[in-house]
Amino acid sequence: MMLDLLVIGAGLTGLTAALRAAEAGLRVKVIAKGMGALYWTPGTIDVLGYLGAEERAVQRPWERIDELPERHPYRIVGVKRAQEAIEWFRIRTAELGLDYGGRKGGDNALTPSPVGAWRPSYLLPAGQRAGDAEDGRPMVIVGFQGMRDFYPHLIARNLEAQGQAARAAVLPWSVLSERRDRNSVQLAEALDEPTTQQRLIDALRLVVKPGERIGLPAILGREAHARVLTALTQELNAAVFEIATLPPSVPGIRLATALRRSLEGRGVRVEIGMEAIDFHAQDGVIEFVETATSARPLKHRAKAFLLATGGVLGGGFDSNPDGRFWETVFDLPLTTPQDRRRWFRPLFLDPQGHPALRGGVAVNDAFQPIDAAGNVVYANLWAAGGLLAHADPIAERSLEGVAIASAVAAVEAIKLGSFAHA
Amino acid sequence: MKRMSTDVLVIGGGSTGVGVAWDAALRGLRVILVEKRDLTHGTTGRYHGLLHSGGRYAVKDPQSAIECIEENRILRRTHAHCIEDTGGFFVVTPEDEGDYPDRFKAACAKVGIPCEEIPLREAFRREPLLNPRISRVFEVPDGSADSFLATHVTAQAARQAGAQILIYHEVIDLLTEGGDGDRRVVGARVCDVVRGEEVRIDAAITVNAGGAWAGKIAAMAGVPVNVIPGKGVMVAVNHRLVNTVINRCKMPADGDILVPVHTVAIIGTTDERVSDPEMLTIEPWEVDLMLQEGDKLVPGLSRSRILRAWAGVRPLYQEGYTGESRDATRALALLDHRRRDGVAGFLTITGGKWTTFRLMAEKTVDKVCEQLGVERPCLTATTPVPGAEQGHYWLGHRLHEVEEARLQGDLICECELVTRAMIEQAVANNPTVTLDDLRRDVRLGMGPCQGGFCTFRAAGILHELRLHAQETQAQTDVNGGPPWNVAYLQSPRHSVQTKPAAFNPKVSPLDNPNLLLRDFLQERWRGLTPVLWGRQLKQERLDELIYLTIMNVDHLPEDGEASPLTEFWRFDAAGAKEDGQ
Ligand SMILES: Cc1cc2nc3c(=O)[nH]c(=O)nc-3n(C[C@H](O)[C@H](O)[C@H](O)COP(=O)(O)OP(=O)(O)OC[C@H]3O[C@@H](n4cnc5c(N)ncnc54)[C@H](O)[C@@H]3O)c2cc1C
Repeated sequence: MMLDLLVIGAGLTGLTAALRAAEAGLRVKVIAKGMGALYWTPGTIDVLGYLGAEERAVQRPWERIDELPERHPYRIVGVKRAQEAIEWFRIRTAELGLDYGGRKGGDNALTPSPVGAWRPSYLLPAGQRAGDAEDGRPMVIVGFQGMRDFYPHLIARNLEAQGQAARAAVLPWSVLSERRDRNSVQLAEALDEPTTQQRLIDALRLVVKPGERIGLPAILGREAHARVLTALTQELNAAVFEIATLPPSVPGIRLATALRRSLEGRGVRVEIGMEAIDFHAQDGVIEFVETATSARPLKHRAKAFLLATGGVLGGGFDSNPDGRFWETVFDLPLTTPQDRRRWFRPLFLDPQGHPALRGGVAVNDAFQPIDAAGNVVYANLWAAGGLLAHADPIAERSLEGVAIASAVAAVEAIKLGSFAHA
Repeated sequence: MKRMSTDVLVIGGGSTGVGVAWDAALRGLRVILVEKRDLTHGTTGRYHGLLHSGGRYAVKDPQSAIECIEENRILRRTHAHCIEDTGGFFVVTPEDEGDYPDRFKAACAKVGIPCEEIPLREAFRREPLLNPRISRVFEVPDGSADSFLATHVTAQAARQAGAQILIYHEVIDLLTEGGDGDRRVVGARVCDVVRGEEVRIDAAITVNAGGAWAGKIAAMAGVPVNVIPGKGVMVAVNHRLVNTVINRCKMPADGDILVPVHTVAIIGTTDERVSDPEMLTIEPWEVDLMLQEGDKLVPGLSRSRILRAWAGVRPLYQEGYTGESRDATRALALLDHRRRDGVAGFLTITGGKWTTFRLMAEKTVDKVCEQLGVERPCLTATTPVPGAEQGHYWLGHRLHEVEEARLQGDLICECELVTRAMIEQAVANNPTVTLDDLRRDVRLGMGPCQGGFCTFRAAGILHELRLHAQETQAQTDVNGGPPWNVAYLQSPRHSVQTKPAAFNPKVSPLDNPNLLLRDFLQERWRGLTPVLWGRQLKQERLDELIYLTIMNVDHLPEDGEASPLTEFWRFDAAGAKEDGQ
């Protein structure tokens, strides 16, 4: 039977869209070249952290949406629908055992980054909530001797400089593993084992002082995270939180895994290693997308297509030295300047971000890609997430919020519109 | 004001100045060298990486060619571990018509450069990616040279012979005595830029080895020196497309040499007159030209992943010369300002090449000795610098050691195979003020991800080392302490073996990890933006995800402060405003 919807891209946008579509009873499948940026991100749901050149973090993201550019994805979705989408996502992930929550009153929470800067996030996974600046109690940041992706002294120093009482402690590496060449994911897997958990608890007992919140690298279990977190909290009688560091990032992987399992449970296939290389359209309607596999090209037919390939980061855009910037599957029109000299600002950390990274696929109010004249490019094509124009989710710290809100909005539009063509 | 005195004051910590300090110290003179930033901050750290055989100059500038081949032979012994013995080809492409190849061959024979025409089949066997339309190939003893390491070990040798090397010390004025016709330079006022203090250095003789800045320095003594700054752009490609240095067999022009350097290949260069040696902005057309010319040597080069572009400024000197800078001579120029300008106690050494730095130093110190009235022979040609017994380096040397010693878990920079112990060694044995200094020591952040992962890690490690040093009240003077030991910094195995014994970080008072991070990220960005497209842009977006989304480094405390590296990006920002962006 023909698919109702083919989602291209398995990042947060693609997985969220697929979940929403499946929930609405659509026959949906996800294809993607790689795993998506979720594997690299800290697992928080950031809605809007910074606005333009404003130094201070945004306090209440939903109250600031109307200051974004007019065609920013949030403004197309609308504040109310965006809020509803995030709330829907929170409830769904709670059902999947991921307990996301935030501050009261819709304020951004602030948690320590791996260099000790405060990160503004709208929702935090359970494992990160005790790190919120709002709490006020002193912190002990605990690292492991020789762990190359976590530097507790650096974190504590910068927290102190910002008025948060914090100190650093270092445990021997052997608490976690006998092998030196383990990354965060492998360490998290080691902590799924009760014996390793117990070793960690015993070691922490020796360094933690009463009343301190304990900050650790985000390695507190991959599958058994909830149990590890409870065990540490109860046995040490202290608040415990994770700090997500360099990729691969365990909290992001936990979220990706939960979403994928939920889709599998609903019979939705997520096919990774499928790079869309070509497509066929007739009279402005896409008939199929072709993917490269080792054997032979595969055709994926569907009534509707949702492009969620994530812009530059996800590989959804490519570019060349001639100054050309293009969308890799459908060659959709982009708002990006087609002139290399205008792509970047001279300062890496320019608060305005860089023009090359703010450009993208322009869409109409129904999240259908449009050309410069405002005409819909393909009647059965929608787009969502990091590839949308007029937003720079990395500079704005809106990566997850834009992904979820636009994915939900696009699926709602697909439900209303797509089957007219079928 | 702090006051110091010496026989010889050397200004400039590039290959030339460091060579002079080494030579003079070996001859028993008291020497102080001052460099305004880190060693190799100038052109020496931004060059192409070619140990010249002299072939490039054989036809046009035989004197330079002779100097090159002689020095090439010497440096292979004295600085063996700084050199990879790649050999070099001069290739004739369809565009290189005419009688140049035969003139080239004859000229090489005349100046004594071993040069052999090799069968095409052999050339393509050794370098399969070469343009198949190449019609003739000549082999010469070119090499690939690491000027960071060479300059640092030469400085170490100089220190071991008694020289003082003061980095982050900038000459702000030359001290002169006497009136018209009878003036002499008696030393310099120097600013210790890390501490913000002034130092007065009295010297019997002052040597200006300021490279492209030599004119500015001479002007401080009222002496006009016409150094032509010729900017050259180079572009690094993600692979060793070739293992041999490839030169076009034609009159020297733009983009006609491809040099394999460590894990990358570098195509260069251009030659544009610029008004100021700090003007290192790279234009898109310059990069495009390099890629276009590169395709003529290795078709498809322009479609490889490009890592980075940078520019260096040639210190070309020609008395009264005003023509195109490419045509100015590459020969060295030693100016005795007593004879030339009536200002005694002052020499300027400029022009030349990295390859000839030892010779330039020898001639300079001969003149110094003559003026001081002492007679001591030059020893540098027969004195290997520390570490030379390791022999030439080869591409796999780091990987081999990392695998043998199982150091994978300790890799801080996976691209360039830099271990934690190597960073600790570099900091312990050599002054480090910014992460860029560490890059020059161990190649941190020079690979495909351009600092994506290692910038954060290195900042964290440096912060811990500095905390440790504060706790143990270790030496905190950048330039104090025992002689630096940098001879084995490139060796992962050696760093591990010696780690427990040698820990004595000479940390700088500049203890702000946030600045280290921010400045190094900006420094990398600067080299990336001219070549940011395709896969490298995707990589860059991941780096943004790391430093903005994950780390939030643009919202760290104290971000208003400045370090000696900050001035670069201040300059970048100012440049942008002028463009009206
Ligand atoms: C693009 C390019 C490619 C090249 N490629 C090659 C090559 O492949 N092979 C080769 O052999 N040669 C090459 N050269 C030439 C070679 O790099 C230079 O000749 C050589 O590095 C010059 O060294 P130097 O010490 O004279 O100058 P520099 O390295 O520039 O040293 C001068 C130093 O003086 C310092 N200084 C300036 N003002 C002051 C002050 N007021 N107080 C204190 N210090 C000060 C600067 O910071 C600088 O470090 C290349 C040159 C260029 C431009």
